[in-house]
Amino acid sequence: MTNLRHRNMVWIGIVAVFVIFGWMFLPDQARRFPDDLTFDLAGYINQFFNWLARRAAIGPFAVKDITRALAAAIELPLDLVRGLLIKGFRLRLPGLGHVEIAAFPWWALTAVWVMLAHRLGGRGAAFLVLGSCAYFLVFDLWESAMLTLASVSLSVVVGMMLGLFLGIWAYRRPRLGAALTVIYDIMQTMPVFSYLVPILLFFGFGPVSALVATVIYAMPPMARNTTLALRRLPGSASDLATMAGCTSRQSMWLVLLPSARNGLLSGLNQVIMLSLSAVIIASIIGAGGLGNDVLQGLKSMRLGRALEAGLAITLMAITLDRLSRAAAGQRRDNLRAAPSFSRRLVMPGILLIGLAAAHIAPELGKFPPALTLSTGGLIDAGVAWLNVALQGPINLLSDGTVRLILRPVKEALLALPWLVVVLACAMAAYALQGLRLAVVAGVILGFILLTGYWDQAMISLYLVLVSTVIAMLAGFLVGIAVGLRPWLNRPVTLIIDTLQTLPTFVYLIPVVMLFGLGDFPALIAIVLYALPVMIRYTKDGIINVPHSLIEAADMAGCSPRQRLTFVQLPQALPEILLGVSQTILMAFSMLVITSLVGTRGLEQDVLVAVSKAKVGEGLIAGTAISLLSILADRLVTQASKRLRGHLGQA
Amino acid sequence: MTDQTFPIRCQNLWKIYGPAPSALRTVPVGTLNEEALRATGHMAALRDVTLEIGRGEVFVIMGLSGSGKSTLVRCMTGLVEATRGDLLIDGENLRTTRPERLVDIRRHKISMVFQDFALLPHLTVLGNIAFPLKVQGVERSERERRAAELIDVVGLSGRENRFPHELSGGQQQRVGIARSLITKPEIWFLDEPFSALDPLIRQEMQDELLRLQATLHKTIVFITHDFDEAIRIADRIAIMHNGAVVQVDTPEGLVLSPADDYVAAFTRKIPRHLVLRARSILSPVSAEASGEPVPADALVGDVAARVLSSEAPVPVVGENGLVVGSLERSSVMTAMFGATA
Repeated sequence: MTNLRHRNMVWIGIVAVFVIFGWMFLPDQARRFPDDLTFDLAGYINQFFNWLARRAAIGPFAVKDITRALAAAIELPLDLVRGLLIKGFRLRLPGLGHVEIAAFPWWALTAVWVMLAHRLGGRGAAFLVLGSCAYFLVFDLWESAMLTLASVSLSVVVGMMLGLFLGIWAYRRPRLGAALTVIYDIMQTMPVFSYLVPILLFFGFGPVSALVATVIYAMPPMARNTTLALRRLPGSASDLATMAGCTSRQSMWLVLLPSARNGLLSGLNQVIMLSLSAVIIASIIGAGGLGNDVLQGLKSMRLGRALEAGLAITLMAITLDRLSRAAAGQRRDNLRAAPSFSRRLVMPGILLIGLAAAHIAPELGKFPPALTLSTGGLIDAGVAWLNVALQGPINLLSDGTVRLILRPVKEALLALPWLVVVLACAMAAYALQGLRLAVVAGVILGFILLTGYWDQAMISLYLVLVSTVIAMLAGFLVGIAVGLRPWLNRPVTLIIDTLQTLPTFVYLIPVVMLFGLGDFPALIAIVLYALPVMIRYTKDGIINVPHSLIEAADMAGCSPRQRLTFVQLPQALPEILLGVSQTILMAFSMLVITSLVGTRGLEQDVLVAVSKAKVGEGLIAGTAISLLSILADRLVTQASKRLRGHLGQA
Repeated sequence: MTDQTFPIRCQNLWKIYGPAPSALRTVPVGTLNEEALRATGHMAALRDVTLEIGRGEVFVIMGLSGSGKSTLVRCMTGLVEATRGDLLIDGENLRTTRPERLVDIRRHKISMVFQDFALLPHLTVLGNIAFPLKVQGVERSERERRAAELIDVVGLSGRENRFPHELSGGQQQRVGIARSLITKPEIWFLDEPFSALDPLIRQEMQDELLRLQATLHKTIVFITHDFDEAIRIADRIAIMHNGAVVQVDTPEGLVLSPADDYVAAFTRKIPRHLVLRARSILSPVSAEASGEPVPADALVGDVAARVLSSEAPVPVVGENGLVVGSLERSSVMTAMFGATA
């Protein structure tokens, strides 16, 4: 132990010496990466995709035609769901001419959903659904909400099936599983914007592309959870299947998957939440829906409208989360006694009556406009007043932070010689894990250098760094405060759970309202988004310290403060470090969104690439963000693991 | 001896784990000592196990964790493939059996009860018990009828529609037992079935098992690490240590003539009157003996009260009714309280 600590000190010393000497004696080429060494990878990628989309063909079929056909195939179910929820259909039937079929009217859908929610999660869930529906209706957001819901539900179905399939595959072939895990890491950390462009190239501008992007973003947790849940099953589950004489298909579908049900359902819950988040983001390429309302509101500074739509997203997120959790934890009493025939007919009955009513009298399908209201103007006025009233303190805070913290850190990072950064990172990686991680670190940073994105990467890093530090400190203090007061645990956990269900996009709204555009509001948004994670890990770390250790500390005569510093904090440290790594990941994923309020790093390149349809630039900048966040995560997670080893925790 | 009397026969069975166990299939047995195996990174979970289990017998495999008992039973069921040696189920060698035939054997001839119950969380009690029949494609009404019969047998009537998490541990294992019986297997493997239960429930379940066996007459292979449990239910016990079977004998045989120090250490704390039979502590026929005679194969514990309350030695009779000796108070006391009494 002392030996190890000694070695660590030596490492830190070496790194420090390097940094100092680097500062003084490095030649210019080691400070700023020579431009003529960079490599126009983006250009080559652009050429490749141009060729793929324009010229490439498989046999007699052009790739573009194939993907467009695929898009049409995907559009079919999407149109079906959207037709049912919003628009209705126009069918051309032979002999009958055009037949119009109306969409389900709002009251029929609301009634059926409330009943479903009641069956799944009891009275509370039913009220939540009722409230959400009422909110959508009263604020005239019903159509947007249904559009979002249609995209989410389709993406969930596709993501679930794909994830299940890949998860089972990876379970059966562990080596493939290891490779897939790396791909999932990249899929989940890569900004949605950056692969939007190639998708647009193949599937065209519109909801299909949005759906594809959403599935890419939301599917990995399902696959991961499936593999993990199957691996965690006790050996007796597969033994039972074998002993009962199951074929391998029976074994998977009758025994293994049902036994792994809880893991699968928690994967499904994540797919739902991530789908919602991605659908909101995808509104930027014309998926429409609530995300679009927020975006338009923000763009035209009609903040009241943005806030209303944002609240609608929040409500939808909470409702979907609650319902999918209820489905997972459901006492399956209702399955025991099959519902009677007449009861089973109630919901289809309501829907059919709704259809018929809307068909006969279209006005029955519309929510009376007289009942809708908008607080938009009021809120806009309120925000204007608030901005004027608080202008002094807000400006002080904003300018002060920028001048004293943000700008100096940014300039320092930009001034750091690249060679020093690369070597320091590689050494830290070597000290924490070994040669492999050091090589990975070198390759990742080398990629960014060679593609010429170093400066942007530093600018991204600076915002992540500052906001992570702030979120860490604040989350650490709050986490300790909660961890030491068990009675606070439940309410705080509830708040954190709720905050974490919210899509990234929602966090921008209040921040833009109060602070406008720029790095400072971006900082606030990132801190807000990352804070709950840090609080959660810190408090859980403190709470999970074994009770016997606390008693031992008390019996040794520790004061509460000593108990905290000598026993609880050291024991909780590995967990807290995991929290730090999660905080960094959260910061990166929010960073991507902050480009919308005008931050300048890699995320801005990604956003610009979307608007200018530059495939290569978007992919490289996105990959750089993904790789940076993965590297940061690996380094901190490794530190946590080592610490756990030292403390003898499993 | 025909396979008719020995449905399970293990012959020189080895199970070796490590980087390349298949290379060890053909080397001479003499080279398979522990040092040689360890040098190549291998570990023998089973070492040269040879035993025969008789039809209708309750055969207990007993050993501490890591002794190889679980591996042995997994070899017997084909869940684990042995590295060397043969395993015959009713004369069929599992090594050469085709996979389809193995599935068939598992569907009809053998079945297993698991330590952690291994109930399917999404099925009711009825569904869990009927599960093996569902796998075989038996029609729903038929399989539920047969499951309902078994529910009565294991004493779970009225709980057909409960889910596993709504049952106590003992009730869950009753479901596991019923499930393993629904295919009417001839050979019944129980892998530490009661180890996860409270001591009181455990005893109740052991009695239940004996009651079932009295009517079913299955060939039972029962794994346990609990010697008390072993002697309560076993006809014969195999004691395993470091992958090898050290001794196979009746409970009484193990106590009276342990094969080595390991077995002796195991049996030392066992209350002897629970395993010894009158025949084993017999004194010569005595003229003083009086009173109702006791049978020679009665457990000492069962007749102790009689002997201790009688002034004179009690006569012991053999199976043919002839007096073969007598029981002295002192020898019963020794059996019950140890040599110092």
